[in-house]
Amino acid sequence: MERSFTHEIESLKLGEGGTFHGEGILAVTKALLQSGVSYVGGYQGAPVSHLLDVMVQAREYMDELGVHVEACTNEASAAAMLGASIAYPMRGAVTWKSIVGTNVASDALSYLSTAGVIGGALIVVGEDYGEGASVALERTHAFALKSSMWMLDPRPNLPTIVHMVEKGFELSESSNSPVMMELRIRACHVRGRFATSPNRAPTVSTRNQLAAPAAFLYDRLSHPPATFRQEKLKVGVRKPAALRFIAEHRLNETFSGDEHSVGIIVQGGLYNNLTRALQILGLSDAFGACRLPILALNVVYPLVPEEISAFCMGKKAVLVVEEGQPEFIEQDIATLLRRAAEQPGLRELAQTKLHGKDLLAMTGEYTAEVIVRALSRLIAQHASHIDTAGGDGWLQSTGAAREQAAALLGSPLPPRPPGFCTGCPERPVFSALKLAARDVGLPHISGDIGCHAFATFEPFSMGNSILGYGMSLASSAGVSPVMARRPLAIMGDGGFWHNGLLSGVASNLLNKGDAVLVVMKNGYASATGTQELISTPSHSARDATHGKSAVHADRTIENTLRGLGVKWLRTVDNYRVADVTQTLREAITTKEPGLKVIIAEGECQLERQRRLRPQTAQQLDAGERTVRTRYGVDEDTCTGDHSCIRLSGCPTLTIKDNPDPLRRDPVATVIDGCVGCGLCGENAHAAVLCPSFYRAEVIQNPSRWDRFMHRVRGAVTGGVAP
Amino acid sequence: MSDARPITILIAALGGEGGGVLADWIIDAAEHADLPAQATSIPGVAQRTGATTYYLEIFPLHRAVLGGREPVMSLTPNPGNVDIMVASELVEAGRAMQNGYVSPGRTTLIASTHRIYATAEKMRMGDGRFDSSKVLEAAHELAKQAFLFDMRAVALAHGTVINAVLFGAMAGSGALPVARAACEEAIRRAGKGAEASLRGFDAGFRLASGALKEDAPDAPPVAGKPDARVAAEFPADVQEVLSLGVTRLIDYQDEHYAGLYLERLKRVLAIDGTPAHRLTAETGRHLALWMSYEDVIRVADLKTRPERFERVRKEVRAKPDEPVVVIDYLKPGAEEFSSILPPALGAKFLAWAERTGRLRSLNIGLHINTSSVLGYLTMRSLAWLKPWRPRSYRYALEQSLIERWLDEVCAAAKREPQLALEIAECVRLIKGYGETHRRGVANFLAILDALVVNPATDDPREQARTVARARDAALADPDGDALAADLGRPVSLSKPVIWLSKSP
Repeated sequence: MERSFTHEIESLKLGEGGTFHGEGILAVTKALLQSGVSYVGGYQGAPVSHLLDVMVQAREYMDELGVHVEACTNEASAAAMLGASIAYPMRGAVTWKSIVGTNVASDALSYLSTAGVIGGALIVVGEDYGEGASVALERTHAFALKSSMWMLDPRPNLPTIVHMVEKGFELSESSNSPVMMELRIRACHVRGRFATSPNRAPTVSTRNQLAAPAAFLYDRLSHPPATFRQEKLKVGVRKPAALRFIAEHRLNETFSGDEHSVGIIVQGGLYNNLTRALQILGLSDAFGACRLPILALNVVYPLVPEEISAFCMGKKAVLVVEEGQPEFIEQDIATLLRRAAEQPGLRELAQTKLHGKDLLAMTGEYTAEVIVRALSRLIAQHASHIDTAGGDGWLQSTGAAREQAAALLGSPLPPRPPGFCTGCPERPVFSALKLAARDVGLPHISGDIGCHAFATFEPFSMGNSILGYGMSLASSAGVSPVMARRPLAIMGDGGFWHNGLLSGVASNLLNKGDAVLVVMKNGYASATGTQELISTPSHSARDATHGKSAVHADRTIENTLRGLGVKWLRTVDNYRVADVTQTLREAITTKEPGLKVIIAEGECQLERQRRLRPQTAQQLDAGERTVRTRYGVDEDTCTGDHSCIRLSGCPTLTIKDNPDPLRRDPVATVIDGCVGCGLCGENAHAAVLCPSFYRAEVIQNPSRWDRFMHRVRGAVTGGVAP
Repeated sequence: MSDARPITILIAALGGEGGGVLADWIIDAAEHADLPAQATSIPGVAQRTGATTYYLEIFPLHRAVLGGREPVMSLTPNPGNVDIMVASELVEAGRAMQNGYVSPGRTTLIASTHRIYATAEKMRMGDGRFDSSKVLEAAHELAKQAFLFDMRAVALAHGTVINAVLFGAMAGSGALPVARAACEEAIRRAGKGAEASLRGFDAGFRLASGALKEDAPDAPPVAGKPDARVAAEFPADVQEVLSLGVTRLIDYQDEHYAGLYLERLKRVLAIDGTPAHRLTAETGRHLALWMSYEDVIRVADLKTRPERFERVRKEVRAKPDEPVVVIDYLKPGAEEFSSILPPALGAKFLAWAERTGRLRSLNIGLHINTSSVLGYLTMRSLAWLKPWRPRSYRYALEQSLIERWLDEVCAAAKREPQLALEIAECVRLIKGYGETHRRGVANFLAILDALVVNPATDDPREQARTVARARDAALADPDGDALAADLGRPVSLSKPVIWLSKSP
């Protein structure tokens, strides 16, 4: 795993009166333990990876408490885990990145929410929306609505997040429904503190097992005819129970202000940005003492009709601050107000004007700037006695600053998207693909989710579609039959086990497809933080290789494919670019029918370096002979055409001023940080680029023999010179 | 309502620079100073070498006086509201300005002036680098106060990571609401590498607070005395570049060859109507490079010089007592072999290789340990072929191409100096080795044929513009698509240039 949580694990053990310092998502982990969860599962992905990663590393302590932790192979298996809470009084929590994870989990979630739970079931989703998002931009809210799962969106400070986790379990149990909690990227990574309470060992646990299964009860099965009754329960029993709980426990918060004409209803998660916007307008202080009343929805579904009516009563207008689209909450409130206004005593509500997306941007993150603009318009329309000049001036000045910067900079700055790490074993595969394409033409490439998706950026700019995690091969099924040139699908080993094996390989074999699949076997789910897979090489295999790739030690993927009936199966060493190029050429052009699979081997360089660094340091300290390999470019033979860079994109292969006074264009150079993977030399060979690349082996702690040879060589190489 | 507001800090870093650790130090220092503080970040996949940001707020009032009240802090930075903008790299500082995070009334900008080039800048065929001076100018213009120096160099000099220097500069700028000692304590508490970090912190602090001045960059080398022949026969404004050319060609071949260089340039000088003899200077620059074309003899020569081994040692940061083994990646093939054959034989061999599809298949990948006795002697023996060079196929080829180019330059100079300059500049396209070189020559010839020999216009100024545009198009993409579009016809690449083998 990429990160070590030794320090954080200690924070998880804090008891009464302690103070937890740390990340929002780890505060959730602590809150789960304080709530007495029996089991936790999930699938990694930013921004929630740490929730589970820390528990996986804290296995010993989890065993002590009796908490079972499962690193699931995908979100569907995580969601299905919650099935334990249908029939047993045990609390469980699962986590994943949304929207993508919720999509994968949704089948199990439908059945779970239909059956209902008796033990609290909490789903913590990382709402990957706005700046830093890496997936399709959709809202998890839709799933909560369609499945009747309640949705929490706490104010983004640690005490509130922790409180809502604890209340979430109670809400789930009191309404027999699963509860989702959405946390935005910045809320997951926010560093703050909260006062801890002791962890509760679960009553049903690995240490306190159930003696026998629950009695057969058809009503707990999501199967007709029970499903008909269950749907009625959702609306007739569970939702009213949830509404009672939300209202009684005051999960939503009202902040009153002295200004009564307008009010704001906000998703809890956006409360801080709203407060900052009000501060910019001069309508709030730094502590949230605000002139406009605010209803902060820590529970965004279901909405309590009485709370909405009470808040809106007597106001000329209410603004709903709700990020993303469609505007589910705004529509919900519109319906609630309309219905309420038909009741005697509440008719006045018909006069309250409802605003939302008409004043706010339909899409994108709601930063303070976006909110200030909307508030300024709201106030102009309905409370013109409030002075918003400060905010308007601020908006103008920020716009002017950007324009001035653009003018001074002259042209747009070069983009800096994420890319393959230095020495990444996936980069050479794309170098080879670029070379193979010169001979056999570029095929249709189905991309996938994972580090290899960085090949969509320069210098490779490859990929025709991305359809989801593990979906690449499946997404070429419709292309293949209509394409003269055989298409190519790329998948990581993470994607392979997440979904690709069944959705892609099995389907292709069943349909006797004729496609090429490249599986990047780097040994881990690397893009999410190098979590382990079923095909991760064993610890002993990894230790035996030192800093070299260890992935060849595990053959689970190859064996699985052969077992499934794949006939054309090749394994290549990624760094041998010429071989990979030749294998790709062959796969694309061979007459052999059926699925062609290339296993592209090369262990994640992050893991290799993590192993190597302490070993090397130890060797050097002990005075042992250690060879450090680095690559370089001869600046006097490099002519500065940069074709090597267009074939690599390695962060340490870059450019510098041309030292030759007669030349103008910069020359290529290798900078510190080169891990000596050898790709630049291999590329120079495979593409017949130029003779400028060299490999330097620096012998640290040289032996006597090394020193002797060094002197002999020095005498020759320094002596016969021109 | 209270008027107090948090101090806001936005840190723009690149993956692997320790931006997260920097945020941790700041939060720790603030909390130990009893100031409410919050940090958040957008790492996501951006930690994989891309740009990442960290956003922090520190409330400048001690908890003791807040009486249990908690400030509500924002999770997103807002343009116009950033007190301290930190950028670990120059273009990232530019990006912060582009996004409005640097405002004259409020922002202290702390940025390192070194560049880490983006792929988009590195991969261009010519020079795709963003103009750093624009960012520096904008920084001084837009920030309330700016602290700009090469923090990577400082970090390297102190054996630490850039985050420590950035932290020091923040503290030294006076904009951080935490005292120096508290910052240093935070670094110590974090443990791991604390001593090195503290050194970097100290250097950053002193540079920002003005206690220390940044080392001046190395002065450019002073031009030596001009070559005697150049001084005698060429005007002063071209002597420096031509002398460089002469030195290069003597090193490349001999005095006689350098003489040929000057003879060729005299033709150009005689008709040079450009101010400051720009045409002679530019032609002289390109001619020197072209005449010292990189054949196997040249490459072997350059790779076996003592100063080369010294340069390699320096580049890979080998300590004085550490032996360094240097292994060269070479892949000579039909073209390299033919280039040292006599003209007639070389042409025949290459034609055969092309006809039979062996142009690429004959290449042999070699890893030569040039630092070993045997490897060195192998390479050196190739360099010893230098006296043979003027009798080689490649020599004949290059010289006739050079003559053709010079003829066109001189012919154009009589019509319009600008046109001559543009044609001279086209040599820039001929670069690299193997296929890259073939593509360069093909592009060069295509422009020559289409726009110089057979121009579509009688107006030499318009013609000059079309040549310049085509040259830019040739540099726009490696496959020649833009050039083909500009010329309105495909540029044929496959053939090596053997059509000139008739006369050496």
